[in-house]
Amino acid sequence: MGQQIESALRQSMHRVLVVLVSFLPGVLVFLVAVILLTALGMFLAAIARRLLLAARFDERIASRETTDSPANFSDWAPSHSPTLLISRVILWACILLGVAIGISAVDASYSANSKLSEFLLPYLTHVLGAILLLFAGTLVARFLSRSVLIGAVNAQLQYARFLSLGVKWLVLVLTAAMALDHLQIGGVIIELAFGILFGGIVLTLSLAIGLGSRDLVSRSIEKSIEKPVTRPDPSPFPDTGETPRPKLRHF
Amino acid sequence: MSTSPITEPLNAEPTQATATRTGATLLVCLPSATAEILQTMRERLASALPGQTIFIAIPGGSVEPQSSDGITTIDYPSTSRTATGWALTAVDFLDSSQLAVEYDAAATLVLGAEATSLSMTGLQGLINAVLNGKADLALPRYQTGPHDALVSSSLLYPLTHALFGATAHLPLPLDAAFSSRMAKRLISTSRKPTGGTQSEPLVWPVAEAAVASFIVQEIHAGDRTLPQPSDRDLNELLAEIVGSLFSDIETKATFWQRARAAMPAKPSQEPTPVASQAEELQDVREMAENFRLAYTNLQEIWALVLPPQSLLGLKRISRAPAEDFAIPADLWARTVYDFVLAYHLRTINRGHLLGALTPLYLAWVASHLRRSAGDAAAAAFHVEETAAAFVAEKPYIVSRWRWPDRFNP
Repeated sequence: MGQQIESALRQSMHRVLVVLVSFLPGVLVFLVAVILLTALGMFLAAIARRLLLAARFDERIASRETTDSPANFSDWAPSHSPTLLISRVILWACILLGVAIGISAVDASYSANSKLSEFLLPYLTHVLGAILLLFAGTLVARFLSRSVLIGAVNAQLQYARFLSLGVKWLVLVLTAAMALDHLQIGGVIIELAFGILFGGIVLTLSLAIGLGSRDLVSRSIEKSIEKPVTRPDPSPFPDTGETPRPKLRHF
Repeated sequence: MSTSPITEPLNAEPTQATATRTGATLLVCLPSATAEILQTMRERLASALPGQTIFIAIPGGSVEPQSSDGITTIDYPSTSRTATGWALTAVDFLDSSQLAVEYDAAATLVLGAEATSLSMTGLQGLINAVLNGKADLALPRYQTGPHDALVSSSLLYPLTHALFGATAHLPLPLDAAFSSRMAKRLISTSRKPTGGTQSEPLVWPVAEAAVASFIVQEIHAGDRTLPQPSDRDLNELLAEIVGSLFSDIETKATFWQRARAAMPAKPSQEPTPVASQAEELQDVREMAENFRLAYTNLQEIWALVLPPQSLLGLKRISRAPAEDFAIPADLWARTVYDFVLAYHLRTINRGHLLGALTPLYLAWVASHLRRSAGDAAAAAFHVEETAAAFVAEKPYIVSRWRWPDRFNP
């Protein structure tokens, strides 16, 4: 009995050691691939940065941008430098390539029967895609919520903050649903939850705007009705006795 | 606005071309002219400058031989005609300057929309300042009331005066006269729109003249019909104009950090408004209420741009009743300077930044209305007080521009 247990433990230990021995070179290759590709990425990024600086890329981009455009390159770039953004994209692309190559190497050295990279690599790309989606969604949500907030305040809407929050959460919910769908987590539940949440937010916003804008809409309709009426009397307010307030001329 | 005529040159550098300009060619550009306007202007120019060789450029005008009054009509390049109308744009300056160089004009006068409403005094003053005077750039100062030219009074004039040291109450002019060397300078700096949806680029002639050490002169031009932009809202226009000025300030940072501006002349005692405050107070009450709403909603965004001390000042203003609603001039100056800095550093998206400035500008307008109470003298005093605050606070922007990360309470 004791001998059988000892034999079983020895075999298990042997198997673990075999796996470890076959796995370690893979880890080494993984590290070498990542380090090499990182070095290559740094080299390429430095070259790209020098070339773009020599070509005055930042100044050229800045001269083509307008203040009100949401797609201004510089606003999304670190330190507002498109050159820096491009060089960092090159660096991180090389690092990711190194990670992908490393995983393939681990898979090759790990076991002939293992399909680690066949499962891990596609899922890794999905994870990466989900992270990018979340990042972009957060940026877009922040941008849109600020745009709506400023626009609504300048339009003197009382519920500006509420509107801005609604837009922000609409985008965030959409982003989260897309990210989870991309990761293949949740399945139908996510679709249902997203539909309910999205519809709920849209309905809430519609009700809020509809109820809150009654005065605004009625004022707007009144204005459009009153506009074509021409007053032959030089004094526009003859009945009330009030003097008309002078119009502000901003320019 | 003050009604006192202003004729002294503002940059004291002498010019050597004064004598040679007398009797030389004058080019008058009328980018918005019709046949009726041309006829009126022709008569007025002939009586204002008898015996001078004058070229009048109008869109679609064929080149005619010189008539008995010494005036020749030439074609103004109408292909690049802009639709702004209420102010001269970079395209207007560029086309006029190119014509001036082509026809070797010693002085060029560009008149905007409704040019016939410009007074004879103003017309003669602008021409004489460049032809017979020492000025390289002559800009008109129209007779305006307390409700007119508010963007210029609150932002454009104080900023231009404090940073570039030249007094021009309307830095974005509707009419302007400039010398031949100023024309060459404008050709090198103005650019045409690149197409697409991009708005028409503006040029800031006062800043250009100041950087080139040219002489700027402001001419009292009396009353004039000031066309207003009709089809666009205030937020969009304010963002476009202020963004253009901020961008120009950013480009010329090395100049204005060295330049010094004199304190604007203002009466030692604030004039007492003669008009009733009741009418103004109704406007102020509405605007104060809107500012309260803006403060409640935008303080997070303002906090990214403004230091805590300024935010505290704005908080106090937002709680003040309409009768006491006022933005102190120094707080307004610092706030604008902080926005200039945030534009430069791209602290937040520039479109958002300029949108967040609109409620603050309207708060200044409310403050201006309350202070002036419909009285032109009181309004002029407030404008000069604002300009003086911008000059006094200039070290603040210079310091923050150089060391933006330094602690700033």
